[in-house]
Amino acid sequence: MKCFSVALALAAITTTGAAAQSFPLTLENCGHEVKFESAPESAVTIGQATTEAMYLLGLAGKVKGTAVWFTDVLPEFADANAKIERLADNTPSFEAVVNKRPGLVASQYEWYVGPKGSVGTREQFHDLSVPTYIWPADCVGKDNTVGVDGTREELISTEIIYRGLTELSQIFGVPEAGAEAVANLKAREQAAIERASALKLEDVSAMFWFSSSKMDADPYVAGAKGAPAYIMAKLGVENVVTSNEEWPTVGWETLAKANPTYIVLADLQRRKFPADSIEAKMEFLKNDPVASQMDAVKNGRVLILDAHAMDATVRTVSGLELLAEVMEKQAASQ
Amino acid sequence: MRIQVENISVSIQGKPILQDISLDVASGQSLALIGPNGSGKSTLLRVMAGHIRADRGQVMIGRERLTDLSPRNLAQRLGFVSQEASTTDAIAVEDAVKLGRTPWLSLLSPFGRQDRRIVETAMAEMAISTYRNKQFNTLSGGEKQRVHIARVLAQTPQIFLLDEPTNHLDIRHQIAIIDWVIRHKSTVAMAVHDLNHAFACDRVAVLHGGKLVAFGEPDEVLVPEVIERVFQVAVHPNFAEQLNRPVLAFSKSAATP
Amino acid sequence: MNRMTFGGLTPAVSLVGAMAILLAAVSSALVIGETVIPLSTIWNVLKLEFGYSAPQVNPIDQGILWSYRLPRAILAMACGASLALSGVVLQALLRNPLSDPYILGLSAGASTGAVSVAILGFGAGVLSLSGGAFIGALLAFGFVAWLARMARGEGASSTSSLALLLAGVAGAQLFHALTALIIAKSADANQARAIIFWMMGNLSGSRWPDVYLAVPVAALGLGIIFSHFRALDAMTFGREAAQSMGIRTGAVMAVLIGTTALLTAIMVSLSGAIGFVGLVIPHAVRFLVGVRHVLLIPAAALAGGVFLIMADIVSRVLIPGQTLPIGVVTALVGAPAFAVILVRSSRAHSG
Repeated sequence: MKCFSVALALAAITTTGAAAQSFPLTLENCGHEVKFESAPESAVTIGQATTEAMYLLGLAGKVKGTAVWFTDVLPEFADANAKIERLADNTPSFEAVVNKRPGLVASQYEWYVGPKGSVGTREQFHDLSVPTYIWPADCVGKDNTVGVDGTREELISTEIIYRGLTELSQIFGVPEAGAEAVANLKAREQAAIERASALKLEDVSAMFWFSSSKMDADPYVAGAKGAPAYIMAKLGVENVVTSNEEWPTVGWETLAKANPTYIVLADLQRRKFPADSIEAKMEFLKNDPVASQMDAVKNGRVLILDAHAMDATVRTVSGLELLAEVMEKQAASQ
Repeated sequence: MRIQVENISVSIQGKPILQDISLDVASGQSLALIGPNGSGKSTLLRVMAGHIRADRGQVMIGRERLTDLSPRNLAQRLGFVSQEASTTDAIAVEDAVKLGRTPWLSLLSPFGRQDRRIVETAMAEMAISTYRNKQFNTLSGGEKQRVHIARVLAQTPQIFLLDEPTNHLDIRHQIAIIDWVIRHKSTVAMAVHDLNHAFACDRVAVLHGGKLVAFGEPDEVLVPEVIERVFQVAVHPNFAEQLNRPVLAFSKSAATP
Repeated sequence: MNRMTFGGLTPAVSLVGAMAILLAAVSSALVIGETVIPLSTIWNVLKLEFGYSAPQVNPIDQGILWSYRLPRAILAMACGASLALSGVVLQALLRNPLSDPYILGLSAGASTGAVSVAILGFGAGVLSLSGGAFIGALLAFGFVAWLARMARGEGASSTSSLALLLAGVAGAQLFHALTALIIAKSADANQARAIIFWMMGNLSGSRWPDVYLAVPVAALGLGIIFSHFRALDAMTFGREAAQSMGIRTGAVMAVLIGTTALLTAIMVSLSGAIGFVGLVIPHAVRFLVGVRHVLLIPAAALAGGVFLIMADIVSRVLIPGQTLPIGVVTALVGAPAFAVILVRSSRAHSG
């Protein structure tokens, strides 16, 4: 962290007349108070969501290292991303992160940086004068001690994503970039919601199938309070899954009896479980004696959505748009 | 049935345990096997029972070589009572004795009336018929030993091998077992610690350091020269009129410190 | 007395009784579940599946009953029976009442095999989780057998059981460590969670192909083990005593332990590592029918099968809307049951 005046000067140069961020900045973030005397010079991001959030804010230049990737980076960021060192595809080591001497460590999940963090605890970083920032979607209204992926107490909303973008932009002294990104996303969100309500759907329900540990085993489906549930709620669709866990396993028996209007399949890039691929999921739905009897399968109401849109990230709004679009297409073809 | 040991030698992990042992027990005779700890008594009995394979020599069971017999055939001819047979199972005394019939049973000849009679006789002979439903593990050491002997009796072998059957038994039970050995018509080879028990047998074999140092009738073998040398104690022979046989008393040897 | 009786009942009566108990258990598994399906529907579905005419049945109900619940119940029966049988055999052969089928390192190896496939990607998509688990189980068992052989060396045969037990502990620890290493190094949250769930035992996803494998294997295992009932009885007083009763203990142990290992490996690969069945059922059944293996073996198979069917039902209905791993249920029931058996039998022993 350089001295106060240099940071101010930089901020004055880079902004185009909009209000600059005032320092020192204090934020409440996932149960910790984080203080910034000035904008950090650099950051290491752990988790694709925080990485892409930084890119969206135009802060790719400040990112010295990234880690934990679920899919390919969004195409609009590919060039910038190629220049940045990838510390690890999965969990990086504490030392690898700290060796980059980052001005900030931004983590998507408390699972990586948090009370039981696999990279380290927040205190470990703070002891070395490295501030940490957790993507708010992972702790606001969520109890990470219950359930393997945590349990949500309240329905998530895009407000939390916007908060993350805003706070990150504040930390790096570019609040106007944050405001712009948020305004953009809000507009897109609103448009998608209007498209869906134009369809005048009634009594519509859905389930989101992420993957399964064995092809025939109980599937991982989206819970009642996570991002997919939010997407469904905003588009006027009821989630047939009632568990508050982020990704509970629910038996096909129960899902078949619930008979949702739509079945949404997650399109994953990884190939670790046999049910990861869309082809495998489609084949199961066609051939399983129970699933094939579900109305959604018999009437072709199976939709495909990029897996990453199912997390509370900058891609969630794209998820909203995409789902609205496929619902439109599907309604048109009826 | 006669059992014959011919030039048996056994080494375990390079150490010689038995060296060129030859002895025999004629049909219907009893043999006491004595010797200090580590002299190889248990090993010899186990070789005779077919549990340990000798490096050299052979054992003849009747007219057949022990190694030519299948385990089942061997078990029909020879029974072995060892020191350490214990169990964690909740087995009743009667069922424990019934196990002795195992080498005679098969799919085509399951446990039948005759087997039942043999088991009853065995239990009566060892005076454990009243215990038949008791749990084996609730019995005293002496009672357990009698159950094992009953089990081997139920096996109806013609040769009995017993490895220190009187260990841990009170005097009453010790006498009972020795008494049974005397009365029994089968061929018996028995390892014993108490040298006075050896007088009850037809023959005595003395092992010392893996070698057979004496073999013959009790009067010939259980003499002070042999005993003092092998066991390193002073021997004081007496004669018990009522039993019509010698009785030995022991004291510390003058020669050893 | 030439006729064999099962605790006072003739073989015919016992067989009928056993079938009745099994039928009741399987029926419960068909009726009870995430939703309750009435018996009349079950009857109609059975009629339809066997080609008889019956009133129209909701195809989802039919699918649930015939393709989900029935194979699942049959698989539970086969797994439960196999695990209980394995427990009986190992407790008799190893002379250790705490033996269970996993004591030879099988479940630890299965976990390692499963994570190798799921996380490291071994088998490149050709090998399934089950296949990996099966291979892992056998590898671990091979390692344990080899280690036991090394440890035994020359010497009294009475130590060979101990050598096997210790080798089993060592092998299990090694493979558990390997599993932990793989998970720590490579897994993300979802994968780690999936593996943990699998390791605790899971019958969801049981389909008819699993049944076609499990039932013949279980039947074969039961046949082989039952045919050795006298040898198992003879082991009561140890290996040497059994030998002196004419049992080829070396060959018998090799056949029975090998059978147990194969049986357990197959079941673990199909259903994950379900604990407590192999440990507790033999003791419970021994308490009821005694220690003679001619009764113990079939009774343990029946009890194990029924127990697992029941445990599966409980795992599906205990928490509404969620399925518990079946290993949790067997532990919740098994641990206190074991304590009760322990207290009762120690009283019986000292009586």
